[in-house]
This record gives sequence, structure tokens and C-alpha cells, in this order.
Amino acid sequence: MSIENATVKKFIVPDRFKPVLGAAGFYLLMMSVFIYFAPSVFLNIGMFTAVFLSLPLYIIMGLALVFVTVSGEIDLSFPSTLALTGLVFSLTLNATNYNFWVAFLASLLVGITCGLFVGFLVTKLGFSSLITTLGVNFMFAGITQVLNQGQVRQFPEFDESPIRAAVVGSWGPIPAQLLWGLAIAMILGVIFNRHRFGIHVHIAGDNPEAGRAMGVNVSRVKVYCFILVGICCSITSTISILINSTYYSTMGEGYLLPVLAAVFVGGTPVTGGKGTIAGLVIGATTVVFINTGVIAVGLDGYFTGLGFGLVIILSLLGHRALSGRLSR
Amino acid sequence: MERKPLIELVGVEKTFGRVQALTNINLKLYEGEIVSLVGDNGAGKTTLTKIISGTEKADSGAKIILRGEEQKNWGAAKARKLGIETVHQNRALSEQQSIYANVFMGRELTNRFGFVKRKQQIAETEALMRKIGYTSKVWTPNSPVLKLSGGERQGVAISRAILFDSSLVMLDEPTTAMALSEQAEVIEFIHDLKRQGRSVIFISHNPWDAHAVADRFVILDRGRLVFDGPKGDMKADEFIMMLREIARKGTI
Repeated sequence: MSIENATVKKFIVPDRFKPVLGAAGFYLLMMSVFIYFAPSVFLNIGMFTAVFLSLPLYIIMGLALVFVTVSGEIDLSFPSTLALTGLVFSLTLNATNYNFWVAFLASLLVGITCGLFVGFLVTKLGFSSLITTLGVNFMFAGITQVLNQGQVRQFPEFDESPIRAAVVGSWGPIPAQLLWGLAIAMILGVIFNRHRFGIHVHIAGDNPEAGRAMGVNVSRVKVYCFILVGICCSITSTISILINSTYYSTMGEGYLLPVLAAVFVGGTPVTGGKGTIAGLVIGATTVVFINTGVIAVGLDGYFTGLGFGLVIILSLLGHRALSGRLSR
Repeated sequence: MERKPLIELVGVEKTFGRVQALTNINLKLYEGEIVSLVGDNGAGKTTLTKIISGTEKADSGAKIILRGEEQKNWGAAKARKLGIETVHQNRALSEQQSIYANVFMGRELTNRFGFVKRKQQIAETEALMRKIGYTSKVWTPNSPVLKLSGGERQGVAISRAILFDSSLVMLDEPTTAMALSEQAEVIEFIHDLKRQGRSVIFISHNPWDAHAVADRFVILDRGRLVFDGPKGDMKADEFIMMLREIARKGTI
């Protein structure tokens, strides 16, 4: 056999896998730094269990944000939608003598309505989603505060309920909500990549004019994305309330920047038309580990912000390098 | 025997704010004919094709009659479903998406739950790319459109128009920014469409192209239809003289 016949195949990574690979590589790099500086903490299974408790909340919120971002919009109103749907869940629980399903349904309906409202402002009135949702975030937070009257609502009755065990119980070292979060990620991932709706989300954010000319109802697609945010807010707030058996009206406040960071660190660009669900899951894991990691390696809690900032900027640089546009 | 028109426009008007883009357009289009739609910049050619393709809505009072039936709630999705395909001037492509996603944009092949039949779409796109003579072997149906050249992108837009069994294909300036060899291919392609029995509306800035392919000329000037007649034995230079005359006087 002559040497000419042997084909040397160069291993080429398809472009669409690059963001996921980038996010994964970045995550591993960050973890090795953490493990190097605090091996006792980061090689301990308890650390992972702690992270997995809250990780699914960031994954579920991030999923909705990936859809919105890829559709060419942004949603900054989800933290207060989260608080509002949580409040509706809590109030309905009290009013129905702890009927979980009615309370969850009420919270879902409110979440869907919130999404419809934002979608209406953005698509029918043509407002910028950045400014609209910034305003809506204040508005919903205000409504929540007025309705809640500064109360912290506790539901000790839930501690032993089978529903709580199913949603947030622990299966060995794995909290149940992690499995729920990953299941939702899988379902939405299939819809994102393989369902007509997901394909149209990509088109809406890539070239809405082209989509309209080819008969894609771009406005409707965007409204559905905002509704998805509402639905995910409702699921996230419900899980969050079940975890602690407590509702407090500021529960959404810590989510805004970490969730957006998870989307972008995961390799979904802010420009629309492109995105990755697998990347988001890795991005969310990265972000949640920073929160715990910065403190675990012995740094002051004040350093969390600095760590966040560094990780986001570095990951953007990494994604840029992967897409071959490092030198402009 | 009187021929039945494929599509008939009655009293189509379009205003953008205070600008009257189209004034009382009445037009019949028959099966298997190539109509060259000509006119100066701003004459309303693109607006007219956008109204036929459902991308723009005509002002109220206009009638669109397809195969003898007046159409209500005319829109892009409906027009495509009823067999009207358009190659838009700006090509209407989503650049970050794959070639096959663009070919099937808005008319994805799905199962009854709405999930896309990806393999079938890729296979059909591949066959289509070979059919319209993609010379470059580098591209697969999975390549994103942003890597393609201008002519190749036009190829994607054109293959989208012939993929489905359309009865009317509208091409708005399809040869703009194309190499001469590519332009010749597009002209040949238009003749192919006619041989397959489809109707074509062809818009071009190049009067020789417009003359060469046409069975019939429709000339717009400042939003009005000023000439509608068969080519007959009109020579190219007579046609061009007529266009000049219209541009100068606004009528014949």
C-alpha cells in the first residue's frame, strides 16, 4: 500500500459544537484552579451536593433566557416575575388550604400573563426589549411588594409532604431538583434544535425580515419566548419555595446577573440567531461554582463579584478565540 | 377560448405614509408565461411583488384573485402555501443558519408533532444543490450561509423557490452583483421554469435581460402601470427606446 492511498483525516470540530466545547474547557480550567487551591473543599462530595441544590434553578431560568436571547431579544424582568409568581403560589396555597396543584397552576397562569404582557410591549408596540423589561422588572417588583406587605411566608406543613419529596427531596447525594432541571433542559434542548418552533426562534433572531418574507410569524415566536420565561419563572419560584418551605419577596434578586452570565459563558452570543442549550447547562454550573468557589478557596465574600467579572470576561475571550476572530 | 388567469390583481394601491407607491394597479397573469416587470428606480416594482408574495399588505379595497377565487387575509405563509414563491431582492436568508435550514425556512418538513425531519431536509437540499449546479464541493447542506459567495447565496434563494411545487415564481433583481456566467445561468433557469409550466415575474435593471426572457412586458412608472403588452416581434432596441420614452414623459 502506497503512502498516497492513506488519507490523513484532519480532525475538525464542527462550528456548532465549538461554543459547548469552549464552555466545557473553561469550566474544567476553572475547576482545576479551585481544586489546586482548595483540594479538601473541591474534592469533597458535600461541596457538589451543595452546588447541585441551587444549580437547577439557574439552569431552568437560563434555558428560557437562551430562547429569548437567540430570538434576538433580552429579558431583564425575570427576577421580579420570579418573585411575583412565587407570591401568587404562596397566596394561593394559603387560600386553598395547601392545594399544591391549584397553587402551581395559578402561578403558571400569572407567569404566562407576565410573558404575554412583555411580548405585547415588545412586538406590538415595537419597544426595545432591553428597556421595556428593565421597566417591567421594577413594575412587577413593585406589585409584589405592595401585595406582599413585607411578609416572609413560611410553609412548615410542606416539610413532610410527598410532593416536596418528589420535587426537592434527595436521592442519595443528588437532589431531586437537579434531575428535574436536567430533564427540562433535555426537553427544551430537543425543542430548541429539532422542533419547528426552535428553528423559528433561530430565524427570528438571525434575520427577522427574511423570516417574515418566508412566512414565519416572527412576532408570535418572540411572544412565545417571553411566555417561556414566565413559565420558567413559575417553575423556578415553586422549586425555590419548596426547598426552604419559605417565600420572601426578594427571592428573585440574586438571579439577574448570574443567569445572564450563565447564558453568555455557556457560549450563546448576545447578538441572536445562535445559541446552545448544552452550553448553558455548563455555563450555569460554572457560575454557581464561582459563587461557592470564591469563598471556599479562602477569599472574602467580597471577592465574589471580582471572580464573576473575571470569569465572564475570560470566557468571552475564549469563545472569541474559538470562533477564530481573536485578531480583529 | 378565453384563458383563465392564474392570478389577478384588481385596484391595488399602496401608500407609505404620504408617499403613494402604487396607484390603481390592475394586472392579470396567466399560466406558463414570463412577465418582465420593468420601470425606473422607485417605480413600485418591488412593492408590487411584495404585495403578491404577501410580505406587504395592499391598502384596503384591493383584490387579489387566485385561480378565480378572491383571497382574504393574504400573507406570506398563505401565498407560499398556494404556490407563489419569491426570490427577494435582499435574498431573505438567515446567514448564521445552515443552507438546508434556509432552503426550508418557513416550510419545514415536520412530523405531526412539529418536529423537523432533519435527515430528509438535508437529503433534499443536497439533491437540489446538485440540480442547480453548485460548483463548489466545499459546502454541504450543513454549512452556514454566511460562508457562501453572493452568487452561491442567490443559488440558495433560488433553490428555495423551486423546491416546492410552485405555480408562480417571482424574481426581484436576481442577477444583481452576479458574475456574467452566473447571470447567464439565472436566465437559463427562468426558461426552465417556463418549460415546467410555471409562471414567472422577472424584475431586472438590465433591459436586455428583461427583453430576452419575456413573453410580455409590464412597465411601471411612479407607481402607475403605463404599459402592459406582449413582446410580439418587438426588438430589444425598440423596447429600450420605449423605456426611455416612458422615463422621460411618464407615459407612452
